Amino acid sequence: MADSDYEFEGDNGSDDEYVAAKSKSNPRPPPTGKKRAEEPPRKLHAWETDRSRTVAKELPAVAEADDGSIQRSVQEREEERKRKRLRKDTKPFQRGIIRHVVLVLDLSESMMEKDMRPNRFITMIKYTQEYVREFFEQNPISQMSVLGMHDGLCIRVSELSGNPAEHIAAIQDLRTPRNPEGVPKEPKGSPSLQNALELARATIYHTPSHGTREVILVFGSLLSLDPGDIHQTIKACVRDRIRVSVVGMGARLRICQEIVSRTNAGDESEYVVATDQESLRELLLATTTPPVVRSDQAATTASSDSAAALMMMGFPSRVIEDVPTMCACHGILTTGGYRCSRCSAKVCSLPITCPSCQLTLLLSTHLARSYHHLFPLRNWVAVSWNRALEQGSRECVGCLSAFPEKPTTKGDVSKNEAGDAQKENASLDKTARATGEQQADKDDSQDQKASESSRYECRACESHFCVDCDIFCHMVLHNCPGCLSKLNPVPEAHSNGDAGMTG
Amino acid sequence: MSASSSQALEYLELLPRQTHTKLYEQPSTVLAIFRCMLPHLAKSLVMAMLYMPSSLSAQDLDTWFRPTARSDKDKSISILEQLHIVVLKQDASRQNSYELSKGFARALRQALEGSGSHRSFGVPSSETDPDKVTVAFLDEFAQGQWENILFYMVGSTVGLSSSNALGRDVGEGTKALLRLGEFVKSTHARVSITRAGFTFVLQETSAQVWSLLIVYLKHADQLGMSETDVLSFLFMLGSLELGQDYTISTLSATQLQMLEDLYAFGIIYRSNEKAKTFYPTRLAVTLTSDAGMLSTSSTLRNKAISNEVSHRSAPNTGFIIVETNYRLYAYTDSLLQISILSLFTKLTTRFPNLVSGKLTKESITRAVKLGISSAQILSYLTSHAHPQMQKNNPYLPPTVMDQIRLWEYEGERVETTNGFLMKDFPSDAEYRDLAAYAESLGVLIWRNDARRMCFVDRVDQISSYLKKKSQK
Amino acid sequence: MNAIDGTDRQIKTDNSPPPSLLAIVLDTNPHAWAHLSSTLPLRNALANILVFINAHLASGNANEVVVIAAHSHRAVFLYPTPKTPTPRNNSNGNGNGAANGDVDMNETGAGSMEDGGPKDVSISDNPNKYRPFAVVESAILQNFAALLDATTPAHLAATPTTLIGGALSLALSYIAKSTLLRSPLDSVVDNPLSALADSETLHTKRESLTSRILIVSVSGDLANQYIPVMNSIFAAQRKRIPIDILKLAGDTVLLQQASDATGGVYMKPDRPEGLLQYLMMAFLPDTTARRSLVMPSAGGVDFRAACFCHRNVVDIGYVCSVCLSIFCTSDLPSNLCLTCGSYLSLRSAQTNPPALVPRKKKKKKRAGGADSTTPGGSTPAGSGTPMHS
Repeated sequence: MADSDYEFEGDNGSDDEYVAAKSKSNPRPPPTGKKRAEEPPRKLHAWETDRSRTVAKELPAVAEADDGSIQRSVQEREEERKRKRLRKDTKPFQRGIIRHVVLVLDLSESMMEKDMRPNRFITMIKYTQEYVREFFEQNPISQMSVLGMHDGLCIRVSELSGNPAEHIAAIQDLRTPRNPEGVPKEPKGSPSLQNALELARATIYHTPSHGTREVILVFGSLLSLDPGDIHQTIKACVRDRIRVSVVGMGARLRICQEIVSRTNAGDESEYVVATDQESLRELLLATTTPPVVRSDQAATTASSDSAAALMMMGFPSRVIEDVPTMCACHGILTTGGYRCSRCSAKVCSLPITCPSCQLTLLLSTHLARSYHHLFPLRNWVAVSWNRALEQGSRECVGCLSAFPEKPTTKGDVSKNEAGDAQKENASLDKTARATGEQQADKDDSQDQKASESSRYECRACESHFCVDCDIFCHMVLHNCPGCLSKLNPVPEAHSNGDAGMTG
Repeated sequence: MSASSSQALEYLELLPRQTHTKLYEQPSTVLAIFRCMLPHLAKSLVMAMLYMPSSLSAQDLDTWFRPTARSDKDKSISILEQLHIVVLKQDASRQNSYELSKGFARALRQALEGSGSHRSFGVPSSETDPDKVTVAFLDEFAQGQWENILFYMVGSTVGLSSSNALGRDVGEGTKALLRLGEFVKSTHARVSITRAGFTFVLQETSAQVWSLLIVYLKHADQLGMSETDVLSFLFMLGSLELGQDYTISTLSATQLQMLEDLYAFGIIYRSNEKAKTFYPTRLAVTLTSDAGMLSTSSTLRNKAISNEVSHRSAPNTGFIIVETNYRLYAYTDSLLQISILSLFTKLTTRFPNLVSGKLTKESITRAVKLGISSAQILSYLTSHAHPQMQKNNPYLPPTVMDQIRLWEYEGERVETTNGFLMKDFPSDAEYRDLAAYAESLGVLIWRNDARRMCFVDRVDQISSYLKKKSQK
Repeated sequence: MNAIDGTDRQIKTDNSPPPSLLAIVLDTNPHAWAHLSSTLPLRNALANILVFINAHLASGNANEVVVIAAHSHRAVFLYPTPKTPTPRNNSNGNGNGAANGDVDMNETGAGSMEDGGPKDVSISDNPNKYRPFAVVESAILQNFAALLDATTPAHLAATPTTLIGGALSLALSYIAKSTLLRSPLDSVVDNPLSALADSETLHTKRESLTSRILIVSVSGDLANQYIPVMNSIFAAQRKRIPIDILKLAGDTVLLQQASDATGGVYMKPDRPEGLLQYLMMAFLPDTTARRSLVMPSAGGVDFRAACFCHRNVVDIGYVCSVCLSIFCTSDLPSNLCLTCGSYLSLRSAQTNPPALVPRKKKKKKRAGGADSTTPGGSTPAGSGTPMHS
């Protein structure tokens, strides 16, 4: 896990990231810093990507695959679509594991629009609850706060804390209040981006510098009603190292674009617009992956302390009691819980910051949950027929389902030519593997195409997998069954990132 | 436990203890009963007790079950007791404890371990058959035979029998059996289907097979066959392997006699009457397992592929689409299916692979008058729902389901249940206790707390319970 | 009586429990079994497990089993039998499909002779055994024998541990695929109905296959596979697959955590001789049956962390913010993380973040940071927005 690992490991693969239109054209570009002069290639607009699946687009694609049967090409498209869910940028980045996130919800009247069913507001409420759950699943030692914008104001929905249940309850309360007198919030008025950013900044500006400071805006309006100069606010955010991501609805806004690009060092890929509710969900969930730590950060912030820090944490053990005692977090009687290792206060659940001595309390499993971000599984590569025959793989290593045999159709001649080309490719691959990383990098970052032989190969252990296992291993398991089933399959240098740390 | 085996279970439950004891001598029978007759929890219970050195005390049993699952536990125990699988013992200190019946336990252990020399799982033919038949052929044969029988029953009602060759070559024995089971009645040489017959036709195939076989079993005595032998043979058939030929040399006289009848049903195949071997068909091997889902194919190396096929195809058997506007589309060209559909649907159009029609009030009430219940129609539609429909939950549009029921209810407002009225309880506590027990068994139909009366549809469990109580 | 009750629309749609897939991870570490040989030889254990597998298969018509051996140098499927790849020299076969076919045919033929041929005979000879049982048993025994044959002293000398992580990963991916194949909804995610945002239509996923994993573990320390095993545990947790542990020897906190996190059964019998009864009583009931049974669990699980530097169990530890390594002391050589080498400042480890006390709305929340970010004074009244005046 040494830094050097990152250097020669070259490519480590994807993990939980959901498709996002944003990764369409440019994977988050390398941190070139302030140089805004080199404009990244123009980002495709939502309607230009093939996410907007229309029949007109679908048809030619099917027809193109002429040599095989139509069914074959349909299957390929299906696999391709599945693989798109895998992340494309596999550059080794240090990721900010400890995140401080302010989630800002738009509660303005534009959320009454019915382009999402039943309307944007209810859709958003539902997906953000799911999002919070997933967020803490992925980032167990992070903190979050939820804000809401309406009537030109910004209100606080929930305080900064690491307990997902609180946030979910608070969000749920917006629509169906728990206490009977409460009035369900109706989206109304206009939002104010400036007020939202100011309140968000106030919420997280004091957080320790080893963590990230992020604002995630769910923004359905096409306007912002601000009391002052928003550009000043943006400047302040930049100075406080706050990064803003915006998930818009309906259309792109110039001001959002500016906020995002200024706070993300010129990178606009954090501004995305959801075209429908499925895409809203996916775009939201995409932000659960910890963000890359920008190397230029120390320079821009000019703050004296470095980004990394050693944090004191408590690993309490569970206590089981017969008689209920008061817990320190809620002040209610409970039996059992966890006892703070420093001050012996009893808390109900973990992770939590000890209410009396402010020590971060968690279980070792919470830390372990984040390891797959640090040691991601490398992407697997599509296998050509030649490579498949060379390996002679007949079934998926993970699930033992049979691979298709190489079809021996009349199209063979042309295929052979293609095969030769691929062979060259394959040999190129090999040289790349031998010489170093650049080629592999390129391989990894290229589009995740469907494999002609329906096989996908882990480059570390040379096992072949089917597309379903590919998806499962990269999105859920984060292990390579092939590598782990052999003792030292390959020298460290080619490892897929799984090796390393002992714990 | 599926619908098909529940019939068999009902039949089994009514058998006397001696028959049970005799049945349990064969490991294949025991295994089959265990696999498909017992409710899920009962299986766990039996397995837990199987290798237990001592008997399981009733107290331990209670602690093993969660308090919420009490009624499930009672149900499982009662079935096990009825089948004489579990025996309740009382030791000197009046402690109740349960024990597996010796014969059952021994046979089940043999089945699991593969020990003993009972040869009850079928002896494959030693010499290779020169004209070995394929699985596809067996399937075709079984399907043909079975559809013949169904068509024989349905054909007359729908008025298709004359126009088609199907349904003619049903053997006399089978016809007699159908009459005995009161599935059809013949008046003046014309065959017409009865109410029970409709129930039969609308069932799933495996349930149909069992229905017919149970009639066969009930009349085995008249044909001079031993009931136990017949049952054992059926259970053995269920554990055979499709596509494998088995020798007849180890069969008993009764079983040899059965071969011919089973051939007529399409349950087994023999190349000719003198053949020394027989092949079980899919109907046979699914007797004790549902829809042949168990991926037991000897072709182990094709496992993944066959798995995929069976997985993919198993839920795809449906072909009927019902829309909320009562329109019905059925992707089928089988005359049999069309004629069954026409029993309760107003069919309008027929295409090469599709028929379409509508569920109307007239068509449903006509069906009800014929003796078909709405539940049967719904279960037929559900079990044959198209995969597209299976994505919904429930499969059928609720409006259609409710409307079909309403149409039926218009005709019949009174429901009858045969059973027993329990009354004149000495005390309220006793009444409540019994009513609660009956409820947990699932036999309670009606109760009136004020008058201390309750009505149950099965009484044998209750009476043994009362006896036990009075002993205390 | 003739009320139409919407609740009983589910007309007896199969009240039978869904089929259950049991994945058995058998720890076959030769070192550990050698220790156990006086009380429970591997041969006996395997025989008992085979009976257990039969009992599982008998418990449901569509039940399936997959057996994976976690050996010292490999983790392999024992059942279903994996097909060995047939690597081929690329130079000779390129372009002539027919030749390939031939080679393949021969290979498969040979393969079937070796794994299918003799077995068929042996099964046919035994009319005392239910055929599906026989198929599974002989496959497991054969593959296991092959695995042992392939183990060389060099392998044994190389490592004392067992590849539980790999076996778990194999089991999970197999389960994931089986579940996928069984699910009536082909692609759950793409079902447009699931996109309906109203919580009422919260997409009731029909359970078509319940799976569980049983690890029969005999060896101890798994520390070298901490991350893979942890990843597997989280994956199982996410997919709601309980991991049952039968611990015959050794002791690992990791596996305790696995069963605790996934809601599985944990048992460490005092005497391993009664293996079969343990299996039948505690591990046979599937997820459906477990809903009505009281199952033994791990009880108190030790969740304390061990530091990476001395492997001490710590109550209060110091965690590197970059790589999350745990150290028992804040006194690192030249303040560099031992694992990832980043420079770590200690300041924030000891200082507490300012407590955020909720104040009255109009109060300023920000003490410092007075600067030019001041928005104009025209903030609407009643705003909770911090602003500088």
